Amino acid sequence: MSAEPNVIRLQGMGVRVHGADLLADIDLVVKPQERIAIIGANGAGKTTLVKTLTAMMRPTSGALQVLGEDLARENRPDRLRALRSRIGQVFQGLHLVGRLSVHENVLIGALGRCESLLTLGRYFPAEERDRAQAALEAVGMGHAAKLRVDRLSGGERQKVAVARALNQDPQLILADEPTANLDPVAAEEVADLLARIATEKQVTLITVAHTLKLLPNLAKRVIGMRAGRIVFDAPIGDIDDNQLQQLYRGAPA
Amino acid sequence: MHVTSRWRFAGYTLIYVVFAWVCLFTLARDDGLGLGRKPWENFKRTAAEMARPSFVDVWFGATRLEYRNDEGQVLRVENRREVEVRFLHGLAAAVWTTLRIATLGTLLAGLLALPLGLLTASNLAAPKWLSIPAKFVLDACRSIHTLVFGLLLVGIVGLGPTAGILAIAAHSMGSFGKLYAEAIESLDMAAVDCVRAAGARPLQVFFLGVWPAVLPQFISTHFYIWEYNIRDSTVLGLVGAGGLGLLVSEAISLFQWSRLATILLVIVAMVMAFDHISRAVRSRLL
Repeated sequence: MSAEPNVIRLQGMGVRVHGADLLADIDLVVKPQERIAIIGANGAGKTTLVKTLTAMMRPTSGALQVLGEDLARENRPDRLRALRSRIGQVFQGLHLVGRLSVHENVLIGALGRCESLLTLGRYFPAEERDRAQAALEAVGMGHAAKLRVDRLSGGERQKVAVARALNQDPQLILADEPTANLDPVAAEEVADLLARIATEKQVTLITVAHTLKLLPNLAKRVIGMRAGRIVFDAPIGDIDDNQLQQLYRGAPA
Repeated sequence: MHVTSRWRFAGYTLIYVVFAWVCLFTLARDDGLGLGRKPWENFKRTAAEMARPSFVDVWFGATRLEYRNDEGQVLRVENRREVEVRFLHGLAAAVWTTLRIATLGTLLAGLLALPLGLLTASNLAAPKWLSIPAKFVLDACRSIHTLVFGLLLVGIVGLGPTAGILAIAAHSMGSFGKLYAEAIESLDMAAVDCVRAAGARPLQVFFLGVWPAVLPQFISTHFYIWEYNIRDSTVLGLVGAGGLGLLVSEAISLFQWSRLATILLVIVAMVMAFDHISRAVRSRLL
């Protein structure tokens, strides 16, 4: 497992559900500290691809390795939990526990390494509490630690989600349309935050995006998807309007 | 599309009107809609007696009310004020009994319904051989009235609050189970997923993802049914299952309308007070 230098290695991976190919022939190698954006129209398979990376969905064909763990077949539950705890996730919309406080939501990121039964009653060791607070300070939400998450605005919530991912001390961050429901100012803040954290913590960052505006900051390499397949995979400077046109409204690939 | 739906609405309205008319017509034909022999006089007399609830006697009652026989001989002298104070003490005790019956019955129902509610929640996908019987038990419990359970249970465990508590528990279990299942079905799966995605163990997912979302709903449900049962348990005494109902049936059988008026006022005050508390707590939870 330590011999695997790549963060992600997919080979001919496919996901078939009820006879429909959600993903087909996906080849993708991601090296440590790469920054990748996955773009494509609705239904192109971007979210499905992200879900397979944390084994929330399983491939029906091909090979899939994430952080050295083979996800093409069933994994032992403890191995799977260990893997998930090393991957920080930021989703679109409210993927937080609405009735818990901001601080408690960030502490959820520590569950992978805290196995004590006390965590069931939301009691965490002092060092974990401090660590979560530090993660909140890092995203500029330290002042809101005691507030309930569902009292926050969309942008603030997403920063809390970033803090939770940060608190996992991840090797890989998956951000699935992290700015989709945010106003332009908040979207830029969250994008900057993700980019800064990826740099400071030397984390591999994969972002699923619709708008290209925020991409230069978030990604150096762009993967275009269409109908469950990868149609281009190139450095961000090499992408031209033609390719984007094809992605969103061109002829079938 | 619009036109057809409007015609369909008119059709349903017509069916409803016809059904209501059939109910009225058949009852009238069977002589079921009479108002008795002097309804107006009866109403006036009852209203007049109830207009002066018995509790005012505590301050204004005669201190030496003399009961005489037909010859004018004094049989007994009564201090109305003392009698009413004694009645009010009895009433307070009955209110307390009713509250205790409703509270314990609701608590018991809430606990018994928990496994059944979990089994019937469709998104938890319990095996069919468990979920179908559980749903049947809940439906059956909900469709049999507390009073009917009360009659049955008085025959089994005897007169008294035990029968009342069990009757309330049996009926409310059905309501609890249904509401629990609905709370679980409307669960925010995004919250559950984000806890799972952080690498949490199954128990951690339950206590940090599921529990915070359903607990306020469960507590709100509990208050709602508790409130309902406080209303319901005021009639349980009618079948001998303890509490205020006993005083109600006594007042009615002795034609003591002024005492009935006192009891009803107390019931209304009690239910309003609890409604108020329950609503305040529930609005704070959500």
